[in-house]
Amino acid sequence: MQALIPETGGIAQLITNAVTIFVVIHVILGGCAYAIMLERKLSAWMQDRIGPNRVGPKGLLQPIADGLKFLFKEDYRPKNTDGALFTLAPALIIIPAIIGFVIIPWAGVLDFSQLPFGLGATLGLDGVQVKITGAAVNIGVIYLVAVASLGVYGVGLGGWASGSKFSFLGGLRASAQMISYEIPMGVSLLCVVLLAGSLDPYAIVLAQQDGMWNLLQQPLAAIIFYTCLLAESNRAPFDLAEAENELVGGYHTEYSSMRFAMFFLAEYFHMITGSALFCVLFLGGFSLNPFGAGPDLPLVGGPLLILAQFGILAGKIFLVVSLGMAIRWTLPRFRYDQLMRLAWEGMIPASVLVLTATALMVYWGRTDLMWLASIACVVVIYAVRPLLPKQPNANQRIRIIGSRFSPVTEGEAAPRHPLALNESAVPDPAQGPISMH
Amino acid sequence: MNGWNLSSDLAAYLPVLMVCVMAIVFAAINIVASLLLGPKAEGAVKGMSYESGMDPIGTTHKRFNVRFYILAMTFLLFDIEIIFLYPWALAFTKLEPGSAEAGLFLARIGVFVGTSVIAYVYAWKKGVFRFD
Repeated sequence: MQALIPETGGIAQLITNAVTIFVVIHVILGGCAYAIMLERKLSAWMQDRIGPNRVGPKGLLQPIADGLKFLFKEDYRPKNTDGALFTLAPALIIIPAIIGFVIIPWAGVLDFSQLPFGLGATLGLDGVQVKITGAAVNIGVIYLVAVASLGVYGVGLGGWASGSKFSFLGGLRASAQMISYEIPMGVSLLCVVLLAGSLDPYAIVLAQQDGMWNLLQQPLAAIIFYTCLLAESNRAPFDLAEAENELVGGYHTEYSSMRFAMFFLAEYFHMITGSALFCVLFLGGFSLNPFGAGPDLPLVGGPLLILAQFGILAGKIFLVVSLGMAIRWTLPRFRYDQLMRLAWEGMIPASVLVLTATALMVYWGRTDLMWLASIACVVVIYAVRPLLPKQPNANQRIRIIGSRFSPVTEGEAAPRHPLALNESAVPDPAQGPISMH
Repeated sequence: MNGWNLSSDLAAYLPVLMVCVMAIVFAAINIVASLLLGPKAEGAVKGMSYESGMDPIGTTHKRFNVRFYILAMTFLLFDIEIIFLYPWALAFTKLEPGSAEAGLFLARIGVFVGTSVIAYVYAWKKGVFRFD
C-alpha cells in the first residue's frame, strides 16, 4: 500500500512544508481564539443564556478584546514563587502544544503539472509532486504523541514553582492524570498502526481511503483514544487539575496576564491538534467515503482538489472539537479516584484486549473483519466485568444519616467521624443521631 | 549544498526545527510583551500566595503522598513496554499472514506482554490504582 504514495522530497517539498506551516499555524491560532468564542456561545446556548454579545457585531470581536486585555494586565509574580521556573513553565507548556501539528496531512499530494496557466512548466517543476503537510516525516504519528506528552513538564513545573498549595496539588494531579491516560492512548494508537502497517500519517489515511474508516473498523479503540484525548488536554469531565470547588484554579492559580493566557491557549491548541490527529487516525483524514466500497477523492491532484481536501479535514476537525465542547457542558466532573480507576482498571485492560484482537486478526490475515472483532471485545468486556474483584466505594464507608449507602439506623448513636478533633465533636448519644439536613 | 542531501530522511525534519524556533519565539514574545506593557504595583499582602484568603501555613515543598511516586514508576514500566511494541507492530505487519514466522512473532510478543500483565495484576492487588 505504501507504494501508492508518490516519492516526494527535495527543495520543492521543503518550500511547500514551510508555506503549509506558515498558513496552518495562523489558521490554528485564529481557530484557538474563535474556539474559545465558540465554546462560550455553545455553553450559553446549552444553558439557555445569550453569551458574549457586546464587543463587535454579535460579539464576534470578543476574542480580540480578550487577547488585548490579557496583554495589558499586570504580569504579577507572588513572593513565594520559584523565579526562573515560574516564567519557564508557560513556555514549556505552549511550545510542545504548538510544534505538534506539523505532521498532520492537511491535504493529499499536489501535482505541479496540474497548476493553472502552465505555472508548473514555467517554474520548471512539471511532474514534481509534493505532500501538503508541515513535515513529511515517516514516523509522524510517534512524533506527535511524543511531543504532546512533553506538556506534562509545563504542568508539573507550573504547579511546583507557584509556591501555593493549591497549585502544587493541581500540578501533581494533572501530571498523574496525563501520564495515566498516555498508556491507553498509546495502545489504541498501536491498534491503528497494526491495521495500516505504517507510522506515516499519509499511509494511515491512504489505508482508510482504500478500506473502511478506522472508526468503523476499530470503534472501541476510537472511543478509548478520544477519551484519552480529553484527559490529556485536561478537558472536562477530566479537568480535575483545575476543579474550582477543590483547588481554586489548579496549577495556574498564581498566574496572571499573558502567562496565564498561554496555559489557556495551549489547552485549545492541544484540542485542535488532538482532534486533527483523531480525524487522521479514525475518521479517514481528508477521505470522504467511510465505507471501503465506492468512489472516493483521488490522492494526487491539482489545487482545487487540495482545497477540497483541506476543507473536508477542517470540517471534520470542527465537528470533533464541537463534540468535545458539548461533552464538557453536559457531563459532570469525575472524582479523582474514579478518574484513576477509569484509566488503570478500565481503559488499560480494555485497550490491551483490543490490541490482542487486532494482532490476532492481522495474524489470520482477516483485517477486513476487524469490526466483528471489536464487537467481540465489547462482549468480552461485559462478560468479564462482573467477575472482577468488588471494591467498596469511598463514599459508602462513613455512616451518615440520610445516606443511601450506609445509613444510621433509627435510635442508634451517630458514629464518631474519623476526622473529629476532640470529644466535643462527638454527638451526645442521648440526643440521638444528628440529621444531615 | 555542501553535503546536505535534501531528499534524505533527515532533511524532512528541517520544517520541524523551523516550527520549534517559531514556537520558542512566540512564547518569548508573549512573556516579554506582557512584562513590558502591563502596569506595575506592589503591596504587602499582594505578594502572598493565594490560598482562598487564608494566610499560608508552612512551606509548600514538603512531602506529598507516596501514591504519586508508585504511579509514576508503574507508568514507566508500561510506557517503555509500549515503545517496544511499535517496532514489533511494523515488522509483524510485513510478514505473511498465518505463516510460521508470524506465529513465532506473535508468541514472542505474547510472552513479552504477559510478563507485564503479571506485574499489572500484582499492582492491582497491592492497590496502586486506588486513590481514595
